[in-house]
Amino acid sequence: MKTLPQATSVLLLSAIPLHPTFANELNPEIGVVLDGYYKQNPTALSHRDEGFGLGHTELSLSSPIDDLFEGRLTAVLDDHDGETELGLEEAFIQTTALPWNLSARGGRFLSQVGYLNSRHLHTDDFVERPVPYRAMLGSHYFDDGVRVNLLIPTPFYWQVGAEAFDGDKLTEGEEDIGVYTLNTRFGGDISNSQSWQAGMSWLRNRQAHGGHEEDHDDHDDHDHAHAHGAAYTGENLYIADLVWKWSPQGNTRQQQLTLSGEYLYADDLDDHGHSDDIHKGWYASAVYQFAPQWSAGARYGKAELKEAHGDHYHDQELEETDVMLAWSHSHFSTVRLQYTFQDAYGFEEADNTLTLQYVMSFGAHGAHDY
Amino acid sequence: MTIKNLLAGLILAVLAMPAQASLTIFACEPEWADLARALAPDARITTATTASQDPHYVEARPSLIAAMRRADLAVCTGASLEAGWLPSLMRKAANRSIRPGQPGLFYAADQVNLHQPHDHVDRSMGDLHPEGDPHVHLDPEALPRVAEALAQRLAEIAPEQARDIRRRYLQWRVQWNLDRDRWRQQAAELQGLELVVQHTSFDYLLRWLGVERGIDLEPKPGLPPSAGHLSQVLADERLTGADAILVATYQDERPARWLASRTDLPVLVLPATVTDDGDTATLSGLISHIMTRLAEVRHDRQR
Repeated sequence: MKTLPQATSVLLLSAIPLHPTFANELNPEIGVVLDGYYKQNPTALSHRDEGFGLGHTELSLSSPIDDLFEGRLTAVLDDHDGETELGLEEAFIQTTALPWNLSARGGRFLSQVGYLNSRHLHTDDFVERPVPYRAMLGSHYFDDGVRVNLLIPTPFYWQVGAEAFDGDKLTEGEEDIGVYTLNTRFGGDISNSQSWQAGMSWLRNRQAHGGHEEDHDDHDDHDHAHAHGAAYTGENLYIADLVWKWSPQGNTRQQQLTLSGEYLYADDLDDHGHSDDIHKGWYASAVYQFAPQWSAGARYGKAELKEAHGDHYHDQELEETDVMLAWSHSHFSTVRLQYTFQDAYGFEEADNTLTLQYVMSFGAHGAHDY
Repeated sequence: MTIKNLLAGLILAVLAMPAQASLTIFACEPEWADLARALAPDARITTATTASQDPHYVEARPSLIAAMRRADLAVCTGASLEAGWLPSLMRKAANRSIRPGQPGLFYAADQVNLHQPHDHVDRSMGDLHPEGDPHVHLDPEALPRVAEALAQRLAEIAPEQARDIRRRYLQWRVQWNLDRDRWRQQAAELQGLELVVQHTSFDYLLRWLGVERGIDLEPKPGLPPSAGHLSQVLADERLTGADAILVATYQDERPARWLASRTDLPVLVLPATVTDDGDTATLSGLISHIMTRLAEVRHDRQR
């Protein structure tokens, strides 16, 4: 009886073509990102509770749809106060064959404003997004909408893009198109070993004046209640970003220094405000990958914010400095130790904390953007 | 509104610029730039990497997006070598002629049979490519097939240059066959040479030359040499039969130097691909250079 299954398996094996056409050529690429941490103390404007916890656990599927479209779906499991929320962070289709270097995207996706916002959290160099992102974009702003990008035919890289979103993921409101954005970025090489990119973005929030459901009483736990909405918005959000990278002879495998910074400015806060009431913030980050598997970095971020109290604003300010050391055994596994110093005015939970985090992925691992 | 008008005017002005008559080629690695230059010397060629850069780890930089935007053809290795950056570049460049299934995307690895394909691959085995070893560019037998397929592809994209491309391919082929006969004769004296290597960068050529590559400084493909693995290498019996340690210019020399300091093995640091200038600036020049250096090792060891 044993020989029959053996014979069939031999037959089956020999039927498999020698050139390994993979089982997944017609299946989507499936990737999972696991993110877990231990955090010593709670911190202000944080999406991570103290103690052991899970961060952004991602399950993503992506594939060409046909010769004109590709698609991607990213489901995210977030854990807050022992409750697991299943969220849909990305569910979009994108064109691959439009003329004139145009590309269009529709569905739910991460807005491309700023340098960090369109990137997946697991590619970050620090445990959490910088302070101004956490305050003004809810760490990363994604929503349902459409995007059109155009690459301008210049010898250097110059892209312009526009997006229109429902807007409810930023601020609840009545408008059909609550948010639209304009974005441009350009960049190039300075030499074999240096490259740069700069960007300017404008996000128009037409619902900034609309949703007033978060009054003073709610505000104490805005950290968790608005895990994805932005707590501090204005009608206009302007972002300027700059990135510079250096590697000896451009060999990023051995060593790389990355300097990046962004400035965020929001005005027209809402009906009660004076015209000079604004939110603003910036961060600067330096990360040095000094060996193929090791990197160290420091980041300073600051946000000056206005908190609504009935018909007037209270000033709030948060400064955060992070230092981190990360070890990546392979391209797919990272363990990070980070120390965060917070200095705050008008925030109750501000504290210093040590965080130990892992970010690991299995399955398909998409190519990284610059 | 004035800004909008200005922008629209600017876009129109840029679109109206005269199109380049000659081909524009994006080469992922310098070896394919060399091949493309031999077949279409008038083409504007941008090379994404140099011999000092690890081709597995390249960033989808703005300059590369701009270069891919304007290219008629991208010539890459394939077999997942560029999996970490090429998909991002293609998405950002949004060049409709450069995408899978289009004539504008040429993969060298698709033209030949790769060594060491794997039916089962998981990441605990390191960064193994299921398709096989992608570093085909130093294989004297495989390159003519790549060159022929590339010539056909170029002719398809620029039919008005088809005859010239065909002629240059034949010239290249004749010269390559002559070179290969010479290498074959020289290979006789390299038979049985044993090298300690780091990654499979030179594997196709070494295999063709009959050079043994028993020990790899990488604990798993794609992982940098670790202290633990190096001490295992030091204890490996096969090390006594080795003649030299071979590493590529883009790799960290220190593990090789460490091993050399504990053995009497010479360290050879050679470009794994064509360089910008010198006698390694062409594929055949590079293969000749590597063979000369290996022959020197053999002479020194026999003395």
